[in-house]
Amino acid sequence: MAAPPDDPGRRKFLNAGIGVMGAGLAGTVLAPATGLVLFPLHEDVTSGGDEFVVVGDRAQFGAVPRRVEIFADRKDAWNRVTRVRIGAAFVVLNGETLSAFSTVCPHLGCGIDFDEGSSCFKCPCHRSSFDLEGAVTEGPAPRGLDALQIEDRGGSIAVMYQRFRQGVAQQELLG
Amino acid sequence: MSRLWAWVDSRTGLGDLWKEAAGEPVPGGARARYVFGSVLTFLFMQQVVLGILLATYYSPSVSDAWASTAYLQDQVTGGWFLRGLHHHGSSAMVVVVVLHMIQVVLSGAYRAPREFNWWIGLALGGLVLAFALTGYLLPWDQKGYWATQVATGIMGSVPGGGGAQQVLQGGVEYGNLTLTRFYAVHVFVLPLALGGLLVAHIYLFRRHGVTPPATLSEEELRRTTQPFMPYQLFLDVLAMTVTGGVLVALTVATHGAELYAPADPASNFVARPEWYFLSLFQLLKYFEGPLQIIGTVLIPGGVATFLLALPFIDRSPSRTASSRRRVLLMVGTLMAAVVALTAIAAVEDAQNEGYQEGQSAARANASRARELALEGVLPEGGPAVWRNDPAYEAKVTFSERCAVCHGVDGVGGDEAPDLGGFSTREWLVGAIRTPRASNYFGGTKGHTDMEAYDEAALPKAQLDAVVEYLVRLRAEPDVMPWDETLAAQGAKLWEEELECSGCHEVNAGDGGGAPNFAGRGRAEWIARVIRNSGGPDLYEDSAEMPSFEGKLTDAEIDALAAYVHGLGLE
Repeated sequence: MAAPPDDPGRRKFLNAGIGVMGAGLAGTVLAPATGLVLFPLHEDVTSGGDEFVVVGDRAQFGAVPRRVEIFADRKDAWNRVTRVRIGAAFVVLNGETLSAFSTVCPHLGCGIDFDEGSSCFKCPCHRSSFDLEGAVTEGPAPRGLDALQIEDRGGSIAVMYQRFRQGVAQQELLG
Repeated sequence: MSRLWAWVDSRTGLGDLWKEAAGEPVPGGARARYVFGSVLTFLFMQQVVLGILLATYYSPSVSDAWASTAYLQDQVTGGWFLRGLHHHGSSAMVVVVVLHMIQVVLSGAYRAPREFNWWIGLALGGLVLAFALTGYLLPWDQKGYWATQVATGIMGSVPGGGGAQQVLQGGVEYGNLTLTRFYAVHVFVLPLALGGLLVAHIYLFRRHGVTPPATLSEEELRRTTQPFMPYQLFLDVLAMTVTGGVLVALTVATHGAELYAPADPASNFVARPEWYFLSLFQLLKYFEGPLQIIGTVLIPGGVATFLLALPFIDRSPSRTASSRRRVLLMVGTLMAAVVALTAIAAVEDAQNEGYQEGQSAARANASRARELALEGVLPEGGPAVWRNDPAYEAKVTFSERCAVCHGVDGVGGDEAPDLGGFSTREWLVGAIRTPRASNYFGGTKGHTDMEAYDEAALPKAQLDAVVEYLVRLRAEPDVMPWDETLAAQGAKLWEEELECSGCHEVNAGDGGGAPNFAGRGRAEWIARVIRNSGGPDLYEDSAEMPSFEGKLTDAEIDALAAYVHGLGLE
C-alpha cells in the first residue's frame, strides 16, 4: 500500500468498483429471492375440489335451501390430506332447476347464511343480500352468489366446489 | 432530487452521518488484513435476509418441519439455492470468524485499550456457533435430529444441566416444543443478540480505530492515512465478493444443503455434527464414564477462559509479534490442536466402513423420501412420507394379512412357506431338498404330496441343473438371468430322468394339481396366487391359502406381489 493516500481518479475507479460488486452481491440473493417470493403466482400451491363430490340424494333437496359440506382430497403446499372439508354450498330447487351456490360471499369472502324469515341469503359482514336464485337484492356485493356446477347422477346430487375472485362483477375462476 | 435530498438532510442529518462513517480515517492506509470484520457483517446481513426468505416456507412443528423443508428444497423456485446459501453461509461465518480472530491475535488488537472489544468479539463468535447449533435441528431430518441429540445430551450430562436441557428442548424428550424453542432462539433471540453486540463491537472499533502494524511509526501512520471510503471499503467489498462467489460456487456444486430422510426416533442414524464441531466431537471419544466432563465442559471451558483472559495473560511490553512470542505460541498450539482433532475425526470416519455404509444408506433413504414427498406428505408429517410408497403399504398389508402364516426370514408364522428370498436358487434348492421343513410346506396342511429329494435321489450336479431350468421357466432375465447350458441339462433331466413332470407342468396354462412352472416366481404369478391359489395350474386341491380376490383391491394385490417378488431379488 505504497500508493498515494488520496487521489481523485483512483477514488472514482474504486467507487465504481464498489457499486458494481455491491450490485452483484445484492443480485445474487435478490434474483432467486424474487422467484421464491413469487412462486405462488405461477404454481398451484393448493389443489383439491376439481372433481364432482356427491352431497346427497335428489329427494333431500327442495325449495328451502339446504347447506351441504363438501369433502375432498386436497393438496396444500407440502401436505396431502384425504377427505377434508374444503367448503360448503347451498343446494336449492327453484322451480324445476336444482342449483348449488358457494357459501363464499362474492363481495369480500365472508360466509353467507340463509335467513329463513326473509327467505334470502344474507352476508353477516357487509349486509349483502341475495334471493333464492342467487341474485343480489341489497348491499355492496358486485355480483350474485357463485353458482357451482351440479350433476344429477341417477338420483345422487354431485357438486364441483370451486373458488372465485372476490370483489369483481364478473365471475372469475381462481387457480 | 437535490432539493428533496437537502430537505431530508436538513431534518435528519443523514449527510453528516454518512460523512462521518465514510470519512473515517484509516491510519497507515487501507489494508487487506482489515477486511474480516466487514465480511462478517456482510455474511450476517445476508444470513438474515436468507433466513427471512426461508421462513416464508418453513413451518416449525414436528409434523411439518421436514415436509416444509423438502417442499422448499425440491419444489419452490430458487428454494434449494437460497437454502444452500444459508447453510454454507453458516460455515463461511465460522471460517471468517476464525480468520478475524487470527488477525486480531497476530496484530495484538486484543490488548489495552481494546479488551472490551475482544470480549464482545468472543461473545459474537459464540453466538455464531449457537446459530449453527440451533439451525441444524430445524429441518427435522435424520442428521439434524441425531446430531442435536448429542449436543443436548451433553448439556444433560453436566451436573445440574438436566433442568437446563429440559427447558431448552421443552420437555424430557424431543417434540414440537423443541422445534418451536429452537426456532424462536434461532430467528429472534440470536439475531437480536448478535445485532446488538455487533453495534457495540463496531462502536468500540470506531472509538479505538484500526490496529495498524506495530512496526510503523506514528509519523508514518499519519502520512499514509486514507479515508475509509472508498479505499478500505473497496477492499472490504472485494473480499465480500470473493466470499459471496465462493458461497455461490459451493452451493451450486453441492446443489445446496443436504436434506436427509425425516427424523425417525426408531432408527440408528450415525450422527455427525457439522465439520466445525468435529474437534469437540472427537474430544468426547477420549473421556469415558465420570471423566466425560473433561471432554464436554472442562477442556472447552478452559479454552474459552484462556481466550477471555488473553489481554491479561499477555504481559509483553510491546505490541510487536516478536515481543509476544509466548502468547502467539499458545494460541498457535490451541489452533493446531483443533485442526488435529478435526483431522483425526475426519480420517477415522473415512476409514470407518460402517460409517461409510451408513452414510450411503442414509443418502439413498433421503432421496427416496424426497421423491415420495413430491406427492405431498400426510398431515401426520415426517415419516408419514413413507406411506406414499406402495412398497411400504404392501409391507403393512403383508404384516396384517399374510404374516400370520408366512414368515419372512424366520419372522412370522410357519404354517406356510417362509418368503424370505422367495424363489431364489437357494430357496428352490431348499424346496426340493426339504419341502417338509417348517420354513417350506411342513406347516401347510393340504400340502403333502411333494417328497424330499436327498443327495441319493438327486445328486447336487443334477439338482443345480434342474434349478437352473426352473429359473429359465420363470423367464425373467432382467432380474434372474440363467446359464443356458446348465438349464438345457436340467430340461433334459426333467423330461427324461426325473419324475417332476408327473405333477408339475411346464407349458403355460396346463394344470396338473401342482404348480405349473411356466413364469412361476414372477410378480404376475405371485399376484395370481394371492388372488386365488386354487387354480388348476397352481395348487388346486392342496391350496390352503385363502383367496384374497375381492378382499384386497387390485392395486393392493399388485403391490403385495411386488413386495414378495422383491424379497427374492437380493
